[in-house]
Amino acid sequence: MKRSLAAVTALLLGITGCSSGGDAEESGPVTLTLAGWSLATTPEFKTLADGFKTSHPDIVVELKEYDAANYDTQMIADLAAGKAPDVYVQKNLKNFFTYQDGKQLVDVSDVAAKLGPKVGGVSAYQVDGKTWAIPYRADSWVLYYNKALFDKAGVKHPDGSWTWAEYATAAKELTTKLKAAGDKALGTYQHTWQSTDQGFALAQSAGASLESGDYGFLKPYYETSLDLQNAGAQVSLGDATTNSLTYQAQFGKQSAAMMVMGTWYIATLLNQQAKGDADAFEWGIAPAPQLTKTTTGTSATPVTFADPTGLGINPKISDKKIAAAKEFLAYAAGADAAKALAGIGVTPADNSSVADTIFSLKGAPSDDLSKFTFATHDTKPENPVSKYTAPLQNILKDLHTEVLSGTTPIDAAITKAQDRAKNEVLNK
Amino acid sequence: MTTMTTSRRRWRNTAVGLSFLLPNLIGFLILTLIPVGLLFYYAFTEWNVFGGATWTGLDNFRQMAADTTFWTALRNTLYYAAFHIPLTLGVSLGLALLLNRKLRGVAFFRTVAFFPYITSIVAIAQIWNMLFSPGFGPINELLRWIGVDSPPGWTTSADWSMPAVIIVGTWRDMGYYMLLFLAGLQTIPGQLYEAATVDGASAWQRFRAVTLPGLRPTTFFITVLLTIGSFKVFDLILVMTNGGPGQSTLVLAQYIFRKGFEENQFGYASAVSIVLFAICLVVTVIQFVVNKRRRS
Repeated sequence: MKRSLAAVTALLLGITGCSSGGDAEESGPVTLTLAGWSLATTPEFKTLADGFKTSHPDIVVELKEYDAANYDTQMIADLAAGKAPDVYVQKNLKNFFTYQDGKQLVDVSDVAAKLGPKVGGVSAYQVDGKTWAIPYRADSWVLYYNKALFDKAGVKHPDGSWTWAEYATAAKELTTKLKAAGDKALGTYQHTWQSTDQGFALAQSAGASLESGDYGFLKPYYETSLDLQNAGAQVSLGDATTNSLTYQAQFGKQSAAMMVMGTWYIATLLNQQAKGDADAFEWGIAPAPQLTKTTTGTSATPVTFADPTGLGINPKISDKKIAAAKEFLAYAAGADAAKALAGIGVTPADNSSVADTIFSLKGAPSDDLSKFTFATHDTKPENPVSKYTAPLQNILKDLHTEVLSGTTPIDAAITKAQDRAKNEVLNK
Repeated sequence: MTTMTTSRRRWRNTAVGLSFLLPNLIGFLILTLIPVGLLFYYAFTEWNVFGGATWTGLDNFRQMAADTTFWTALRNTLYYAAFHIPLTLGVSLGLALLLNRKLRGVAFFRTVAFFPYITSIVAIAQIWNMLFSPGFGPINELLRWIGVDSPPGWTTSADWSMPAVIIVGTWRDMGYYMLLFLAGLQTIPGQLYEAATVDGASAWQRFRAVTLPGLRPTTFFITVLLTIGSFKVFDLILVMTNGGPGQSTLVLAQYIFRKGFEENQFGYASAVSIVLFAICLVVTVIQFVVNKRRRS
């Protein structure tokens, strides 16, 4: 009964999902399908496929496009229907548990064992001592700043020594001085995502954990954000959401002098400046502001966050294809792919030797602090993975909008989220 | 012989009729009926979409009874329905009465009123969000201009987000229901109005004694459609407020989406769907019973 119901459901999901793939032949060249999204504007998948082909002429990697916004929904439907690609990206780490717990990933511990320690983010995909996906990209959140606007306001450039309080002071000073200089740009822009506050709070607060059900560690971060909003040094959450502001336009069109964002934005900004979609101005990156002085300065390692992006293998494919797919994963995490990815401005999981490649791209900054920022950081995961991650993140998303819209005071919102986390998720 | 021919012809006509219906029937069966049937099974299971579901009996419903977010979503859904249904009924009837006259350019105005209904919901939500924007939105600019010192935060305030969504929902739906009311108005015989006028009835009396009773079947039909539509509201709220700020506009349909597609708890999501289905069913049955009593 259960099996037939699952089969009917899979059939239905298959009808509504897009499909290709499946095992064709067991001999001769192997064709692997690889899931990607927004292929026209996200060149990393083609870069990986093309790069792999040069060293593995017998294995063809074909790309299969998914919708970026609904990637996981579509992928889950395709996997349930047995129509998913052979290799698929773990786009959002918070959904990794769904795939791993649902037995939709091949154990790739053997691939992980061969990787050097330079490949970051592998531990995020480890459950019960086994590795289930291999990271090819490992970003980290940094502080972008517009050198021209800083100079116009006469404010000293960031030097890597900032705590959040110093960052907030600089943002307010920039806003006032830019206004006096006749420029409408605000001091900073923190995007509407909950990770903009919660990601840093979780990474930088000692002992902080989502599953503790204790969210007091969020308070200083929300205090800073509310302070910036109230001072007019950044756009309020309400105005940003109702006007559908994009972070690319806020920084790229010089509406804000600073912005905290992931290193993936380096590629986008370079691309947009080259095409004219963003203004041409000098910019740089600095370490993200820190909670305390202990992790600031170029002699320390700044603590930041970001999730790695990994590749996993669909277990429904043949052994021969699994072997080929493992080779592809090893390539994607290795030094050759790292160079190729860096060449298009993407931060690879093995970023030890690619800083020079990225910073030699046209339009990229060349100062020492930018290079230090790119190469040196202690990057904590945004979403430590467990079965509680997705529901807890939904509760914290409500907290985020509640606090930043001014609907509920911080303490009350935190208490409410804690109660909900215990009642709806943790004590179930 | 004649009987045979008649029955054969009847069968052939039925077969031809069925063949026309078949594509739709197959689609309905595969994409609606079977999934709905499965929903009733999955509501009593724990299921993460991969592999088989585990039968858990009434666990999902017990969990729902203690789930504060479920009750918040239910309350918000009732709030939306309680205001959206009468408001849309009133506005669309008013529009229909206004545009049922022989005015110059009446077709243009009817099209204008109907236009929101066929416009992309995402576009509608984006534009209205910009109009409602607390800082730079033209609505608040206007309010400030006429002397309102602290205009509402609209979609960014927990108190005003639901009214804002109801206003947009009504604006979006009014054209469609106006069209149904217009069709209803065309069926009322003109002689009734003439007779009422001859008897000296005022415009208000004509409306109460002729128009409203004449529109009763249409009004009933629209009320049923509006009720089901209001309880199922999803897309508009998803794009406009995504359930926020906080949980102020989280409705049942979005809660189902969250539990199923974001948290992968398809069994629990199915159970909430059944509750939503039951609410729609009960309210609709009550409407049918009340309507039947009135008619008799």
